[in-house]
Amino acid sequence: MEFQAHQIKDILKIDYRYTMGGQSKFFIELMNNKKLLGTKCTKCGKIWMPPRINCSECYEPAEWVEMKQTGTIDVSTIVWYTTSAFIKAIPYGIGFIRLDGADTAMLQGIFSESLIPSKVKKGKKVRAVFQKEREGKMTDFFFVPEDEYEDWIAKPEYEGGSE
Amino acid sequence: MEKVAIIGVGITPFKARYLDKTYFELAYDATKLALEDVNKQGAEITHKDLQSTVYGIYNELFERQFMPDIFINSYIGMNNKPGTRIASGGATGGYTVRMAFAEVASGLSDLCLCLGVEKCNDCYDVQTGTTTPEVLNAIAYSADMTYEYPMGMMAASSYVSMVNAHFEEFGSPTEEQMALVSVKNHGNAIKNPKAQSPMKITVEDVINSRIICYPFKMLDCCLYSEASAALILANEEKVKELKIDNPIWITGVGAANTDCFIGNREDMGRLYSNIYAAKAAYKMAGLDYNKIKEQIDVAELHDAFSGQEVISYEELGFVPFGEGGKWIEERGPMRDGELPCCPCGGLIGCGHAVGATGIMSTGEAALQLRGDAGKHQVIIEKGRGLAHSIGGPGAAYAAIIIMENQEAKK
Repeated sequence: MEFQAHQIKDILKIDYRYTMGGQSKFFIELMNNKKLLGTKCTKCGKIWMPPRINCSECYEPAEWVEMKQTGTIDVSTIVWYTTSAFIKAIPYGIGFIRLDGADTAMLQGIFSESLIPSKVKKGKKVRAVFQKEREGKMTDFFFVPEDEYEDWIAKPEYEGGSE
Repeated sequence: MEKVAIIGVGITPFKARYLDKTYFELAYDATKLALEDVNKQGAEITHKDLQSTVYGIYNELFERQFMPDIFINSYIGMNNKPGTRIASGGATGGYTVRMAFAEVASGLSDLCLCLGVEKCNDCYDVQTGTTTPEVLNAIAYSADMTYEYPMGMMAASSYVSMVNAHFEEFGSPTEEQMALVSVKNHGNAIKNPKAQSPMKITVEDVINSRIICYPFKMLDCCLYSEASAALILANEEKVKELKIDNPIWITGVGAANTDCFIGNREDMGRLYSNIYAAKAAYKMAGLDYNKIKEQIDVAELHDAFSGQEVISYEELGFVPFGEGGKWIEERGPMRDGELPCCPCGGLIGCGHAVGATGIMSTGEAALQLRGDAGKHQVIIEKGRGLAHSIGGPGAAYAAIIIMENQEAKK
């Protein structure tokens, strides 16, 4: 007899109230004041962005420092096929941005009126743009090429940061 | 430290989906195949002779089961013996071999089962009515959930970041050089009856395939697969007792976890985990990082993405940095080249059944060294081979296994 498979529908779902712990200040300042905070090691002076409140190299505390909201693209890509959670957003640009003064680079969305590889290339200057409605999450902001900044903050749903 | 040999290899076919098997049924099949492989060589062992298991299973969401190892442990009849699960992203298989090696080398077990399995394609995306976006989502939870997952980071965009940074630095790998990897590995898979994606294709086919994330195209990426792979490892005394004539000795195991945040790395165009794992494995095996290409016959590499295989040629010491692309243009890693890479088809040709993959690669290299690889057998002269596993966020995990057939060398 031919094999007949039995399949069931199922879903796994967990609700959270996830604490950002020692990183909380980064998300609170982002949400309330449109500031981007990094941390600086009290011993070696390395500036971590995304922030960590302890220096992983020196095993010493790192202090909060306000970062500039401009930076440079270290590397990027444009995504055309992706996970179920993001498939409605394609195409989208993401890249590692080194904020001016930071020793590390952070992953962020790169938005552009013309999302082509040359527009979001290594070395391009970018600037942070913020959502008007913020929740204290990484999706509260994104980066745009510096020459498009004024156009993006003119849109009703976005605004510039407060440096 | 005890000497450790691979005396049995069991690999199930790699398939898009097994409707007729669960993950624990697949694991049973691979275990049975590995036991049969030992017994083909004249031994008479059963699962009752195995003293412990090291499990390689990456993703609970694929299996729809946390701690899937304990359910396999029951199904394969290994109750009341130690079983340890390893989960190291795409490198789970290689890391599992390393820990099974340690189980025997330390003297804890004389005979150990190293068993990997993954069954991803029960995940299903209702909105598109297809499987892959939900499989990718189950994987994407491996990205840092606070800073990186919310940006839409996934496996391909993580690897492509490093490949793009490598290209910025060296002007390589180009899209054509990456496509050559896909042509090679899909082509090699034609001779492997267990491979999921055997295909005779051209560079143009790869370049014209659907864009995934710039500049990776569909044919630059491996497919997620379902399979299981098992190895039986033994110490020297057991090898003698079972009268195994052709043991494949594991002479080097190296592993390293590099920073999972690509943005923290000194140089973004490197998979540092590869470099550290390779150097550690070669040192243990008494091999030379700068001459490794001349010291081994075969390399089963972890080609999750074509461009990453090219970079791996450099990081594993086959060619100098920046010359991986040129090496494949010169046919270096082809079946008939200087050092055949992925003669079984690799991940691009066979598919990627994550926990099983690195164990399959190690098993494939062992079969090559034994002369038992079948139609995809390559020439073995030095009696040494390598298996490579890499994965995790930013390819942070890597493991390298060096194997030797001391009979072949004589």
